[in-house]
Amino acid sequence: MTSFASSNTTLAPSVAPSTSSSTTPSPTDPTAFAYPALYNYPPFFTLQPILPTRHSQLLSWSLLIQAYTRHHALFSLSLIDALSTPLFHNRPLHRRLSLRDARAVIDYMCSKDGDMRAEWITTPSTASNVLKKSNPSGGDEEGGGRFWVFWRKPDEWANLIESWVDSTGQKGVVLTLYELAEGDATRGQEFHGMEAELLSRCLGVSVKRGRAQVFGAEGGEGVKFF
Amino acid sequence: MFLHQLDLTTALRPSLLPEETLLFVQDAVGLYEGRFKIPQFQNGHAYLTSHRACYVDNEEPRKCSVAINLKDVERPEYYAGFLKSSPKVTFHPKPSKRLSFSTRSPSTAAGRTISSSSSSTPPERHGSPLRSLASSPAPSTAASATWICPICSFSNPVPSNFDPATANVHTPLPPCLACGIKPPLVHVVKAAISSITNRQSHVVAPIPQRAHQDKTDLSSASGSRNPLGPSASSAAFPCPRCTFQNHPSLLTCEICGASLVSIEDKRLASAKGIARSESPGPALSRLSMQDEAVESVKFSFRGGGEKVFFERLKNALVQRKWLLQSAPPVPKPNRLSGAFDDGYNSSSDQNPRDPERQKVVGIAGLERRGLERRKNNELVIGTAFEDLEALMTSAKEIIALAESFASQANLGTNGSSEASSILSQSASALGLVTTKDMLGSGSDLLYVSELSRNLAEWLTDDTRGILKREGGIMTLVDLWAVFNRARGGVELVSPTDFEKAARLWDKLKLPVRLRMFKSGLLVVQGRDRTDEKTVAALLSWLRELHHQPPASEVTWDWRLYGRGVTAQEVAERFGWSVGVASEELEMAEERGALCREQGLDGLRFWENWLVHTPEEGILTI
Repeated sequence: MTSFASSNTTLAPSVAPSTSSSTTPSPTDPTAFAYPALYNYPPFFTLQPILPTRHSQLLSWSLLIQAYTRHHALFSLSLIDALSTPLFHNRPLHRRLSLRDARAVIDYMCSKDGDMRAEWITTPSTASNVLKKSNPSGGDEEGGGRFWVFWRKPDEWANLIESWVDSTGQKGVVLTLYELAEGDATRGQEFHGMEAELLSRCLGVSVKRGRAQVFGAEGGEGVKFF
Repeated sequence: MFLHQLDLTTALRPSLLPEETLLFVQDAVGLYEGRFKIPQFQNGHAYLTSHRACYVDNEEPRKCSVAINLKDVERPEYYAGFLKSSPKVTFHPKPSKRLSFSTRSPSTAAGRTISSSSSSTPPERHGSPLRSLASSPAPSTAASATWICPICSFSNPVPSNFDPATANVHTPLPPCLACGIKPPLVHVVKAAISSITNRQSHVVAPIPQRAHQDKTDLSSASGSRNPLGPSASSAAFPCPRCTFQNHPSLLTCEICGASLVSIEDKRLASAKGIARSESPGPALSRLSMQDEAVESVKFSFRGGGEKVFFERLKNALVQRKWLLQSAPPVPKPNRLSGAFDDGYNSSSDQNPRDPERQKVVGIAGLERRGLERRKNNELVIGTAFEDLEALMTSAKEIIALAESFASQANLGTNGSSEASSILSQSASALGLVTTKDMLGSGSDLLYVSELSRNLAEWLTDDTRGILKREGGIMTLVDLWAVFNRARGGVELVSPTDFEKAARLWDKLKLPVRLRMFKSGLLVVQGRDRTDEKTVAALLSWLRELHHQPPASEVTWDWRLYGRGVTAQEVAERFGWSVGVASEELEMAEERGALCREQGLDGLRFWENWLVHTPEEGILTI
């Protein structure tokens, strides 16, 4: 229980602490994540060797991870830490996904077959401050690296932010990245709480499209949509 | 009806009657009626058993298979082949049939009338009623046979009531007339058999009560029919080297010492090279099975093997095993003590002993009876194994004895082990299997295909139920072991031959099949047992588990998912071995019907919900 609580805080420091109460999803709690039926199916936690079955299983896992991270508004996960969360560990059923199998699931999500719904974070340089904060111990790059979970892909995020800017009439206005991610104005939006690295990447998509311009120095960038 | 419809086993071999044994198998055989080929009966196997000669077609075995009962055969005839015609063995039907035929023909009188009428018939119809009458089946009591005393080499006559087919250790034998030593039974049996064989191979034995006119007709007729046979107006046997007329019971020439046994064989050897699949002979338009007037039936041996076939056929005709069904049972114990006495007075001193034996009752009587039975068994076994020939003559007793021993042994050890129950059937299994020496022309392929049929037959035999006991499937290695054990330690099959035979099942369209699992494990199962059926059986069992609460508390909803099963549970449930069960489970998994769960308590298999309901309960993004 202690390990779970710590992992939850380290995982998503920006997430509201209310999610930490949902260690065991109870159907009565409306805020609790509703797990799919397969979550209570023991073989779901053993990766199947037969290709068609395996493919179907991986797809189910991918959908589960996406739904889980969306519900908890998580944008990235650390594999090692996530293993002991309810996502990969069904405590009532006494079943858990092994590290190797979980890695295979994430690899699948990263592949074209998995619709590129995840991406390993290989260079921690830009997100070093986030990583340092979440994983002070370090040395986790090999064992259980972090990965993005794209329950929305970067271009979808770009569309979303653009339409939000459009709907709130902020075209031509310079917004800081912090404003977009953490500001009160974006509270309730799906991209609220997005990590800076992912946000700048999503804005990069908009820049490429010629809809926005990013300027400013490291750590204090601003963006202007037009 | 000379040709009979033949019942085939599941493996497309002739199904043997009780006590019938297989003597010889040869492939590449064609069938003739009279001089004409029978269409559709031109490429098959010839099976010679102790009771019948069978033809089983290669192409359409169920339709085109016939048998000739040896008891209907008056005599066989051998033709060594000449230039383009293959060696043949001709079967001539017995006179009773022929007489019914002759009533239809206008000439039913005896003597010259018939012989003239027979000469007017086409030459290939060489069997005239007269000839059939002439050489009516000679009783196997070898009236003119003699046996040579092994002690003093005096030629003694074989007793007139001596029948080699039914003789056993208790048949009274007269002692040698010169030295008074009793001969061993085997010796006399051999002498009687060889004398009968000689008479039969010479076609016409002297039949004293026939008119002289008939006899000359016959000998001339037989001479034209069988040019290879020695001119046989007497039972004497000319030496091929020095032409001395030897006595028929002699095996070597009395003058020059040349072997007389192989005399015929050496001549035939020259013709052996002729082998070919097509025959230039004319063909019949159809086979009339019901035709009473079947003249004669020929087996044409295009792939060789005719010589051995003929030899064994002659022996079978002499032994007349089909009479054995009414043969004397295992002899009574009270004869036992007289068995070594002089054969003539043993019967006389039996009578006074009988009432004496009746007097002993109670426990003493039981004990005495047991003692006598043991002594008798000892004697029977002791004499039977002295010589192979003797074993043949008393085979029936020995098998009965062996079976009773086996059942007694089973009783003692509780009889639970299945291996011992199979072993106890080994005596009867001896008659079933094809051994290498039963096959002609030494072809390995024939042996393997016969072995293949044997195996299939043995596997599907309902009385044994080998496959059924193993849940319809067993590994090839297990089968090999059980099969060799059932052979009782003789004529064991090598693993290579065994595998080759198993691989032939598909080609021979037999009702069993060899299957290789992913891991390379070879298993044997019935042809009707497909993977689909196995999967369906597994799934229906797993579905049942939705309605049975699991034995222990489980953390998932067993009403929805049932439970996982291990290979052990499946093996128990379906009666398979564990190896087979896990292979079958993996097969079902591969087909997407099952999925696995690797848990702390081992590998379990579940119904596959991963594929069937992938969207169920998943939130849409």
